Amino acid sequence: MQLSEILKKDHVLLDIEADSREAVIDELTKTMEGTGVIADAATYKAAVLKREEEGSTGIGFSVAIPHGKSAGVNEPGLAYARLSQEVDWQSLDGNPVKSVFLIAIPEEQAGNEHLQILSQLSRKLMHEDFREKLNTASNSEELIAALEG
Amino acid sequence: MKKLLAVTACPTGIAHTFMAAEALDKAAKEKGIDMKVETRGSVGVENELTEEDIREAHAIILAVDTNVDEERFSGKSVIRVGVGDAIKDPNGLIDQALEMEDTTPDDYVEQVKERKKAKGEERKGFYKHLMNGVSFMIPLVVAGGLLIALSFVFGLEAADQEGTLANHLNQIGGVAFGLMVPILAGFIAYSIADKPGLAPGLVGGMLADEVGAGFLGGIIAGFLAGYLAQLVKKVVKLPKNLEGIMPVLVIPLLATLATGLLMYYVIGGPVSGIMGALEDFLQSMTGANAVILGLLLGGMMAVDMGGPVNKTAYAFAAGLLASEIYGPMAAVMAAGMTPPLGIWIATLIAKKRFTKEEQEAGKAASVLGISFITEGAIPFAAADPLRVIPALIAGSATAGALSMIFNAALRVPHGGVFVLFIPNAVTHVLLYALAIAIGTVVTALLVIFFKKRSPQAQAADLTE
Repeated sequence: MQLSEILKKDHVLLDIEADSREAVIDELTKTMEGTGVIADAATYKAAVLKREEEGSTGIGFSVAIPHGKSAGVNEPGLAYARLSQEVDWQSLDGNPVKSVFLIAIPEEQAGNEHLQILSQLSRKLMHEDFREKLNTASNSEELIAALEG
Repeated sequence: MKKLLAVTACPTGIAHTFMAAEALDKAAKEKGIDMKVETRGSVGVENELTEEDIREAHAIILAVDTNVDEERFSGKSVIRVGVGDAIKDPNGLIDQALEMEDTTPDDYVEQVKERKKAKGEERKGFYKHLMNGVSFMIPLVVAGGLLIALSFVFGLEAADQEGTLANHLNQIGGVAFGLMVPILAGFIAYSIADKPGLAPGLVGGMLADEVGAGFLGGIIAGFLAGYLAQLVKKVVKLPKNLEGIMPVLVIPLLATLATGLLMYYVIGGPVSGIMGALEDFLQSMTGANAVILGLLLGGMMAVDMGGPVNKTAYAFAAGLLASEIYGPMAAVMAAGMTPPLGIWIATLIAKKRFTKEEQEAGKAASVLGISFITEGAIPFAAADPLRVIPALIAGSATAGALSMIFNAALRVPHGGVFVLFIPNAVTHVLLYALAIAIGTVVTALLVIFFKKRSPQAQAADLTE
């Protein structure tokens, strides 16, 4: 499985406007609903918000990675948004976020390859040069290429 | 150089676990510190810390938002923080860990002891799987055995009458006993091959019972199922998009099929062959020396406790009741009582040779023993067959032979200690009780003696 299999081109939103954490999650959920990754947006969103309640997924460095494991998800999916205006995410370092990765995991999952991909992505996010690439990508192809690199 | 360890884990185990791990790895690299990070995410445990890692470590950072087992770090300096702290300030955590006091010499001795124990255990991957099966089986043996024993309270024949409470108790206990071997086999296989091993293991255990192979057959079934499941996993290669069906379809199907067929064709055949041969042999012994017959029947009772050898001995003796020959029945029952009774005594006087779990099971074994429920000794025999079974055989053979020497006779095929109080059921009651007591002591002493020489203990002796 490749990263591009779960981060589809349609899942990438560059420089969108959103005024709140929930608005960003809504936008990204919509993209995955559109590609059939998410079957039941409401159930999925509830799972994501519940995870946020347990502790913010704003990991600092202006990045947040909200995620939800829910029966409302058909297949593993990943969506990305780069925000034109930073949004407060109650991040670990207190700073607002600019990059948001929304992760969707089905309740019943066979195999764990997508988890490996996500864990690799999470590791990469800890490196500054990698985060820099996210900010400079000018279209979705470039962004996906950067993530896979 | 100081070596640091860390464990990271978060509730969903998808992202933060790995970010925290990476943050710690990265910070340690920049500082030039030797660091190993175990991640406990949805994918499972990765980069697992070994006993050796832990022994060498200066301190351990637990960056976790879930429960993790801290016991393995006992005697070491441990810092507990949330996952977020490791992502936010890995450098600070590492500095803090480096400043922790090194473990004291006392702790170090503890560590060495632990290490030796671990060494013995590691060497015995086989025993680890076995013990896993056994520990899941113990509750069934205890619950089932005690319920059957309880049904005797209503009188020896009470359980034979359908619809009575005694009958139901006996049935419930019987069902628990029926699950014993499948669970043993299932969880041996589970220990080897994880989830995909469970189905073939359970089925193999069930079949072991069906072909009359008893718990020893169950152990074979468990190992067969576990290793077959692993083999299938290794050999069968599916295209990536079909890989998801491996653990739910391909492995269980193929491994169950193969285990099942092996149980029928490779295990079942010889087992019924052995039973037939033993039966003929015993028939030929009827006229022979009574003491030797008692020795033989007694020993057979303890070989597999409910397996083919035991069943043949029991059926032979019970069959003779019809011909009004009561001596062998007495020998068989005495020999069937000493394994759990001997085990119980052994757990009482040599606590250190048994795990906590086994010590508890030992208490239940006493009740099963006096009730002539030989199965009470199975968990102990299954956990360490090569050492425990010979001890049980020796004790049972002693009891059987003594019972014959004392000319004891038993007119009913069950009942345990309770028949001793029923007039005319047993002749030479006191001597018969003595035979059981001596057999019990022999069993207990031999179990303790053999157990002392267990590989774990030997490994510890050598390295001391």
